[in-house]
Amino acid sequence: MKNNQPSSKAILLLISLMLTTGFISACSSNSPEKQTNTPTQSPANNSSTGNNEPKEAVSGDADPFGKYETPLTIRFTRDVDNDTQDNIIPKTPGETIENNRWLKAFSEKLGINVVYDWTVSTGDAYTQKMNVTLTSGDLPDMLRVTPAQMKQLAEADLIEDLTPYWEQYASDDLKELYAEQGPAVLNSAEVNGKIMGIGKADVYGDGVYLWIRKDWLDKLNLPEPTSLQDVLKISEAFTTQDPDGNKVNDTYGLALTKDLYGGAMGLEGFFAGYHAYPNMWIDDGSGNLVWGSTLPEVKESLKALSEMYKAGQLDKEFGVKDGGKVAESIAAGKIGIDFGAQWNPMYPLISNYQNDPNANWVGYSLVSVDGKPALSPQRFQADSYWVVRKGFSNPEGLIKMFNLHVELNWGKTGDFDYYYMPAANDSVGVWKYSPVQPASAFKNIRAFQEIEEARKNNSFDSLTGEALAIYRNIKAFEEGDASQWGWPKIYGAEGVYRHGVNYMDNERFMYEKFAGPPTETMAERKSTLEALEKETFVKIIMGAAPLDDFDKFVDNWYKVGGTDITKEVNEWYATTK
Amino acid sequence: MRIKKRLDWFIMMNNIFLILVAAVCVLPMIHILAISLSSSAIAATGTVTFWPKEFSLTSYEFVAQRKAFWDSMLISLQRIALGGAINVLLATTIAYPLSKEKKDFSLRAFYAWAFFITMIFGAGLIPTYMLVKELGLIDSVWALILPGAVPVFSVIVLLNFFRQTPKELSESAFMDGAGHWRTLWSIYIPISMPAIATILLFSLVGHWNSWFDGLIYMNNPSNYPLQSYMQTVVVQKSFTTLTPEEAKVMAKISDKTLKSAQIFLGALPIICAYPFLQKYFVKGMVLGSVKG
Amino acid sequence: MIELNIKKLKRELPLNLMILPGFIFIILFSYVPMAGIIIAFQRFIPAKRLFGDQQWVGFKNFKYVMSLPNFDNILWNTFYIASLKVILGLVVPIVIALLLNEMKHVLLKRSIQTAIYLPHFLSWVVLGGIFIDILSPTNGLVNTLLNKLGLNSIFFLGDNKWFPYTMILTDTWKDFGYGTIIYLAALTGINPNLYEAAQMDGANRWKQTIHISLPGIQMVIVLLMVLSLGNLLNAGFDQIFNMYSPMVYESGDILDTFVYRIGLLDAQFGVATAVGLFKSVIALILVSTSYYFAYKFADYRIF
Repeated sequence: MKNNQPSSKAILLLISLMLTTGFISACSSNSPEKQTNTPTQSPANNSSTGNNEPKEAVSGDADPFGKYETPLTIRFTRDVDNDTQDNIIPKTPGETIENNRWLKAFSEKLGINVVYDWTVSTGDAYTQKMNVTLTSGDLPDMLRVTPAQMKQLAEADLIEDLTPYWEQYASDDLKELYAEQGPAVLNSAEVNGKIMGIGKADVYGDGVYLWIRKDWLDKLNLPEPTSLQDVLKISEAFTTQDPDGNKVNDTYGLALTKDLYGGAMGLEGFFAGYHAYPNMWIDDGSGNLVWGSTLPEVKESLKALSEMYKAGQLDKEFGVKDGGKVAESIAAGKIGIDFGAQWNPMYPLISNYQNDPNANWVGYSLVSVDGKPALSPQRFQADSYWVVRKGFSNPEGLIKMFNLHVELNWGKTGDFDYYYMPAANDSVGVWKYSPVQPASAFKNIRAFQEIEEARKNNSFDSLTGEALAIYRNIKAFEEGDASQWGWPKIYGAEGVYRHGVNYMDNERFMYEKFAGPPTETMAERKSTLEALEKETFVKIIMGAAPLDDFDKFVDNWYKVGGTDITKEVNEWYATTK
Repeated sequence: MRIKKRLDWFIMMNNIFLILVAAVCVLPMIHILAISLSSSAIAATGTVTFWPKEFSLTSYEFVAQRKAFWDSMLISLQRIALGGAINVLLATTIAYPLSKEKKDFSLRAFYAWAFFITMIFGAGLIPTYMLVKELGLIDSVWALILPGAVPVFSVIVLLNFFRQTPKELSESAFMDGAGHWRTLWSIYIPISMPAIATILLFSLVGHWNSWFDGLIYMNNPSNYPLQSYMQTVVVQKSFTTLTPEEAKVMAKISDKTLKSAQIFLGALPIICAYPFLQKYFVKGMVLGSVKG
Repeated sequence: MIELNIKKLKRELPLNLMILPGFIFIILFSYVPMAGIIIAFQRFIPAKRLFGDQQWVGFKNFKYVMSLPNFDNILWNTFYIASLKVILGLVVPIVIALLLNEMKHVLLKRSIQTAIYLPHFLSWVVLGGIFIDILSPTNGLVNTLLNKLGLNSIFFLGDNKWFPYTMILTDTWKDFGYGTIIYLAALTGINPNLYEAAQMDGANRWKQTIHISLPGIQMVIVLLMVLSLGNLLNAGFDQIFNMYSPMVYESGDILDTFVYRIGLLDAQFGVATAVGLFKSVIALILVSTSYYFAYKFADYRIF
């Protein structure tokens, strides 16, 4: 026994030594690399040829489309969605993620060679992969990061301030695009007053609508809704008057999910009828921001919803069903009302039509209880920003690529039918081959206006660009291609964008006012507050908790961190004014 | 031969009970198979149960053409072949010394705890990723195999089985002048075949089912193993702002028949591994009893 | 003494050499990266790199998690669900393995073994959707059956009284078949002569089970019991994440789902690592203690 004690101690010592040396060598191998990350140099394996050139003058002759004489190689990261994998690549023979028309355009027109450090599928995996990439220190030249990551990178001084490059290099079209929905779109990327990244231009979306099964309305002799009271009546009739005519009481009024909010089967549009705007930061009228879910109008809406639940107008089990599950009920023809975005006919409503050709979903604008127009709630949902690694020789390259993307798709010299949705390739979205994809929030509504114009004058021949591509899809449906059912529902004569135009022209939008990266307390407490909110709201709707629990929720919300978050959000708001 | 004339109630009840249990376990797989063979429109309504409605093979035709699916299945097969072999090799060479008494192997306790601790304390994503990257394993199938090369749970199971091996057997082997390696190979391994088949199965299943390491360690999706690829198919995307084109894609990824066909085909190879390994459970017993 | 040691060393050299490759592997792939545990004590920002200029915060991450409202409740849920899963996860596979062992029809026995092993290969993402249908209070299979028996419908996934048990039972269902494999392997190691001798002595089936089968697999049972204690804070993220909803946060929210939601907004690696470390330390204490007791009272070393 005693004999081996020293030896095992020695081994332990050895292990701890090995551990520490492992530790130290990891440390030391880090430090030289770290030095190379300083602004003047870039990592050894960086293939950028522009490194030793002087930075292209930021002042003076800034050309938004200027071509680099010596080709500039820029390292990107890339996420690939199922559309690209399953539709775009198969429909564009010879093209790949690494070699395609867009990368060719960047190379030929701008002298920029795009290479990808890594490629991963969209979503959580991308964020995780970006996190480990950030940690390993080997940053690509241009990165698409989350707002929180952008803030961290900016505070660690690892990314370039893009403010001067934006001012110098952004083309007029690009600047216009980013101003469409207010200055917040661009300014949301500000850290300490500097623009550190470029996000999506269409981040707010283009409206929430009310989708109703018109065939059921007709069958029950109900008028189209002009007020929320009408919607409540329709919901009741859809539940009790057997609209599907199967003699079984198995239909519901309104679609909703356990998440309550969402671009399809969400409740935002219903709440807006009571002028309630939960789940977003809104101005309380006196210049202060307040969390919409805590306002009394929300309580009123919850009351209405709980009455609907009690009357059997809502799925008794919505509290455990996610969007995919509720979509099944829609497909099975059990539901007649859905609040959601313009794209709802594409999914999930089309699955109803595929099982029942009579199912005729029609989009209406939001309605309210009091005749005052309901505003369409537009949450600020920036999930990512493009940033440029500190020390990269040509940060303006990013802006130039944004310029070119806009120009080639919608500009004067552009070729929409080659770069966006070419008819030659079955109208798949080849624009996704470009690593940067800025797009106007209102481009779809404008396309509708063009189609509408052509419909009036019967001048379909004059259609160009996106409007033409869409019109071809509508025509395909009329000629019998049932899979294109969604297009006329959105862009047709009775399409939902009739109301979109109204929204846009009369500014019937309620834009979320907080657009910055998550604040300190938000990062710590938001998930807790969200859980509290959803739990309370779901229980109130289901009658598992009394309506007055709403007041308790508001108190709790402020107590558990809401007070601090509200303070921080208002501090941010003050800096943007 | 045990032939009983009287009706054996226990055997009958036992058979019925176990058949019922088995049925409850098979039904979900049948449900998935039924969906995969139905038309996607009817599957979207969630009304298909255990028999296909509007029978259709389109989903299988689609999967058959889907190169990424088959490529990733090849990678998975490669992974379980390499990973399973390395796991079993290391497990036996670790379990054998650890199954010795302290008097024969003085460092036994130290090693045992050193291995055990790694079962409880994981290092976490970031440091492991950095190590794998420093070793230049990114985009290589070894990144999926080497970090988990030592299956500690299997080691502990196996060493307990090794301990059950009758002492006389190994002692007589030593008398004949066999070393440790020879004893392990000709005595321990044959006698412990059921246990080795078990840990082999565990490691095959483990390697087949892991998906997260594939997403993180592969820079190019063409190197994904099957379950990493499946992750991009099965996971429900959230409903946020979508363009009409994206919503169309959404309809596609929500296509239950397609999903189900891939789930079914993706599980098939590994399910087949089990009946194949089952025979070692019986064989091992025979070998053991003959030698003993 | 020294001579003896050298002799001993020489004798043990082959054993050391045999274990060496495995040992190198765990040093490299387990112990070296374990240095990353320091993240638990940092306000870790990925962009600043692993050994970079991170801010040290001591035990702040631990305190932060514990200070969150509902933490006690969440810890209790985790422990409650996990411990019941551990118990059922031990008992059910043993019982089924013993019953299978009594089965004489070889082909049927093998088919049943394969059948009960199937659910292990369906992910919770997929099963979640299936269970919502089967357990639906209005037209689900299970509730229809209950109604036929004259019982009231139960909202298994939406009722806080039932949700934890639903999780425990469905989890047991998914993995018991996979769990039986190891016991079946152990049962095949029992010398068939023992059963024959017992039958000669007139022992019935029950007696044979108690006196031959169970003692024959006793080693595996003790082993898995001790090791499974390490899971007393692992309530099963994948399952709960795919099946819970705001209605059952009260009874179903566990440490891992909770940490996941925190991490969604901001990559809080420090907090996640701290929770992981906390779970590991508890697991180590539990397993070591039971290891010690098994050794002391049953004179059995698990490893």
